[in-house]
Amino acid sequence: MIERFSRLLDSFTGRGEAAVTVPPLDGALRANRALDEAATRFAMPGVDCLASVDGRLYAAAGAALAEWDGAQRREVRRVDGGIACLAECAGGLAVALEDGRVMVETGPRAGAVFDTRLRCITAMAVSGNTLFLCNGSTEHAAGDWQKDLMERRATGEVWRIDLDGGKPERIAKGLGWPAGIVAEGSHLVVSEAWKHRLVRLDDATPVPVHSDLPGYPGRIVPAGDGYWLAVFAPRSQLVEFVLREPAYRRRMVAEVPRPYWIAPTLRAGRSFYEPLQGGSVKQLGMLKPWAPTLSSGFCVRLDARFQPVASLHSRADGVAHGVTSVVRHGGQVWAAAKGDGVVVAVEDRR
Amino acid sequence: MALTETYLRWRYRLVPDHLAGEILSKRWIDNTIPLFILLLVVAAFSTAMPEFFNAASVGDLSRQWGEFALLVLALMIVMLAGGIDLSVGSTFALGNIVALALISVAGWPMWAVVLGTLACGAAVGLVNGVLVGYLRLRAFLTTLVTLIIVRAIVDMLLLKYSVAIAGGFIDSDAWYYPGEGYLLGMPFSVVVAGVLAIVIHLVFSRSRAGWHVLAVGGSRRSAHNVGIPVKRVICSTYVISGIMAALAGLLFASRLGGAGADTGIGLEVTALTAAVLGGNSLGGGRGSAAKAIIGSVTVMIMVNGLVRIGVSAGANSLLLGLVLLAAVAIDVRWLKNRHKLLSKVYVSPTFMDLPAAPETDEGSIYAVNDKLHPVEKIGLDAIDGPEDVILDEDDNIYAGNRTGDIIRFFAPDYTRQEVYAHTGGRPLGMAFDRAGNLLVCIGGMGLYRITKAREVERLTDETNRSWLSVIDDSRLRLADDLDIAPDGRVFFSEATVRYEMHEWPVDCLESRGNGRIICYDPNKGKTHTVLKNLVFPNGICMSHDGQSFFFAETWGCRVSRYYFDGPKAGTVEVVIPDLPGYPDNINRASDGTYWLAIVGMRTPSLDLAMRMPGFRRRMARRIAPDEWLYANINTGCVVRFDETGRVLETLWDKGGENHPMITSMREHKGHLYIGGINNNRIGRLKLDWADPDWTGSQSYWRRS
Repeated sequence: MIERFSRLLDSFTGRGEAAVTVPPLDGALRANRALDEAATRFAMPGVDCLASVDGRLYAAAGAALAEWDGAQRREVRRVDGGIACLAECAGGLAVALEDGRVMVETGPRAGAVFDTRLRCITAMAVSGNTLFLCNGSTEHAAGDWQKDLMERRATGEVWRIDLDGGKPERIAKGLGWPAGIVAEGSHLVVSEAWKHRLVRLDDATPVPVHSDLPGYPGRIVPAGDGYWLAVFAPRSQLVEFVLREPAYRRRMVAEVPRPYWIAPTLRAGRSFYEPLQGGSVKQLGMLKPWAPTLSSGFCVRLDARFQPVASLHSRADGVAHGVTSVVRHGGQVWAAAKGDGVVVAVEDRR
Repeated sequence: MALTETYLRWRYRLVPDHLAGEILSKRWIDNTIPLFILLLVVAAFSTAMPEFFNAASVGDLSRQWGEFALLVLALMIVMLAGGIDLSVGSTFALGNIVALALISVAGWPMWAVVLGTLACGAAVGLVNGVLVGYLRLRAFLTTLVTLIIVRAIVDMLLLKYSVAIAGGFIDSDAWYYPGEGYLLGMPFSVVVAGVLAIVIHLVFSRSRAGWHVLAVGGSRRSAHNVGIPVKRVICSTYVISGIMAALAGLLFASRLGGAGADTGIGLEVTALTAAVLGGNSLGGGRGSAAKAIIGSVTVMIMVNGLVRIGVSAGANSLLLGLVLLAAVAIDVRWLKNRHKLLSKVYVSPTFMDLPAAPETDEGSIYAVNDKLHPVEKIGLDAIDGPEDVILDEDDNIYAGNRTGDIIRFFAPDYTRQEVYAHTGGRPLGMAFDRAGNLLVCIGGMGLYRITKAREVERLTDETNRSWLSVIDDSRLRLADDLDIAPDGRVFFSEATVRYEMHEWPVDCLESRGNGRIICYDPNKGKTHTVLKNLVFPNGICMSHDGQSFFFAETWGCRVSRYYFDGPKAGTVEVVIPDLPGYPDNINRASDGTYWLAIVGMRTPSLDLAMRMPGFRRRMARRIAPDEWLYANINTGCVVRFDETGRVLETLWDKGGENHPMITSMREHKGHLYIGGINNNRIGRLKLDWADPDWTGSQSYWRRS
């Protein structure tokens, strides 16, 4: 009774759960222009996922799988349907497709195919003989992530498949869009995007290892003694506010075309029909870097305990927005900015 | 959904939400809590003692109140200038004994007694004033000392004259009149207090002397810096306080005729309680006669009521002390939180149902194109925010900037510029009159004229105040664009009466009819409001018939035509009801049509929010202004339309690279000159079809 009353009071005064505060980009997350100023920059429209396997760098964009050979990029193969994500699998490359199949391309297990029947694979990881898969939502396909967020769903799952045969087994459900997974031995950490946190899934109940990120966390990959995390979209006060306005959200989803929603996106500012916020008004012909934005480029270096130690950014006026994947390869950090369709490489200072 | 929208439409039409913020922004709102306490006290005592408020009791009480109110007003004046006068009680007693001694011992005539008594009070006040004002001693300690000294003088006078006073008989009707007589059916002292309260109110709200006192109390240093004689002002408040305290003593003497040793003891604390309880700030700068009156009535009722109920004297003082404590606490909290409350409730959006926006894709007259791509950039990075541009007969360009200058770019290459005039406000719309003077709407100032000799002259900065408006809408806050009728009358728009210049996009969140169109008639020198309740009226342009003008309502996304003369005089016709964006300035084109600047484009998310006022209101309260949803004023275009409202063409800058943000455009000799309020350049576009000799001045004034 008291809890219901205090929630009502909160929603009236804008405190507690109704508060729309977003943590500041400070400390290890302090904004910079590292992704914009990257010396290496390849245009690759639609690039979504990167994987560094056996000294080679692979990139997936739509139905195409490409590989870097030195500074040259060449297409390795084209699949039926889109590629959902890539991961290393026993020294080879595993490719998950949007139709739910997982195919091992190279390495000792090359040629193996598993049909998971999942329709929203967002990320996968292999540990030993086990393949772990994130299914972002049981309601929507991966491309409809904005809709899933705006409907405030939490129907994401994590599945486990024994590579030596055996039935897929669901090990977690009710997650808010699991979009990244890292598996080491029996430890499993998943990024739960809609709740802006990383959770450990060792036991029955998820245990947060890092919460209240200032963005929506996506894929995680191990890198040395830590990890790299791609944060595919920034949080903003306006979106947080809209998420707490059910009537407006319902009508927006029903009446407004999706590119023009007030929702985080991989690339904002392409059309004058998109929402504009006060701080984003151009002054003297210039968009300020600190302007509120619905998209940005953002990846975070985490230590072994999943705490941020450094970050790479592309701010409101930047040109590498919507980083969906980041890997370390050949002493450099490679980031796939899907929003701008570019792959950039930054020297890894660690 | 339709039902909800109908409900919302009526709810926002009938309930004036914006009044809450406007009332809170008034200064008199500070009286709310004191008035509430007064009503509470009246209610409490009238239920406890039903006979307390009968005619006889009130008549007796009000005579006492008249004297007490004079003391409270005296203290209020000193407090307003940032000081405090604890000697009012002693001065009151001094006035009493002096008046009695003069009338009965010295046998002076009544007028001389009055003057003598007031002079005594003034002398005490002067001592306080010199010590506190000129020698800058602490007000509290100084007046505490004068309290003791004056009290000692009173005791000495008592010792010498009390027997003579008690023994003498005063044979003067004039002497008894102030204490026992009635004027206009009211006790004399009440009339005196009432008249003085009104005078004091007028002085503090309407006169220079009163404003000086308020300024000194608000910030002594700032008052000194702007040249107010701080020492003299402070000194004079003490003198006035002393005179009024002595006057109260005189009234007291006339009423009771007795010189007792306990006269006026503890009165300063009661008066201080009343002043603070009424809402007069102890820190100075905030207070009024009304507050003093409210406070004095409250305290008077409490003190007398408690005595009549039978509360002992000690408990009475204790209660009064507690009330003073509570009043100070409430005063501090109110002062601290009023602005927070105001900032939360001031923005009050209303229901705004815009017609469906026309498409901007292939096939539409508004289709996106690249016609503005060849725009030349004039003064790139050399001008800050040219909202409007205009050209003279010698082809020089004039444009206002953000720092309040009118900049002139010299023909023919426009690489050289000079400050043509400095206005101090934010120059917006411009027009040349028949004599070649430049008329400018200046945001924050009003309508101004810049003569050919570069003198800046005010034409008007106020219009008639509307009777039902809570905020004072007589002053012009945001004069926006103007045009001149053939007979010289100037019609100009004031975009909003609720926001200042730099907050203009916030008015979009409200989208209420906050704006108006005003006419200035130079022949009569009069200004009056022509059209009210317009949704951010912006551009104004005379039509070629000389009887009407077109005006744009920015947040209403429409262009209308108003007839000020001719058979249709007084009517408004909507010409373009549904624009895909937010219209700004309108100007004539050389072929008899009109140019219209579209400052920003409508976004579906904002259009939806416009139909959900509650959403916008909560947004304004919950999130930072930089994060608020705005109209998309980063992309704009130029539209040309004819008299019937038919849109003829649209000019876009597809990439938004050459000319982002368009608020105005002006055709001149075959070129179109483009301005933007947040821009750093003036655009110039060659028009192939346009008459290469046509200028705006010729079109208006038919000069060769």
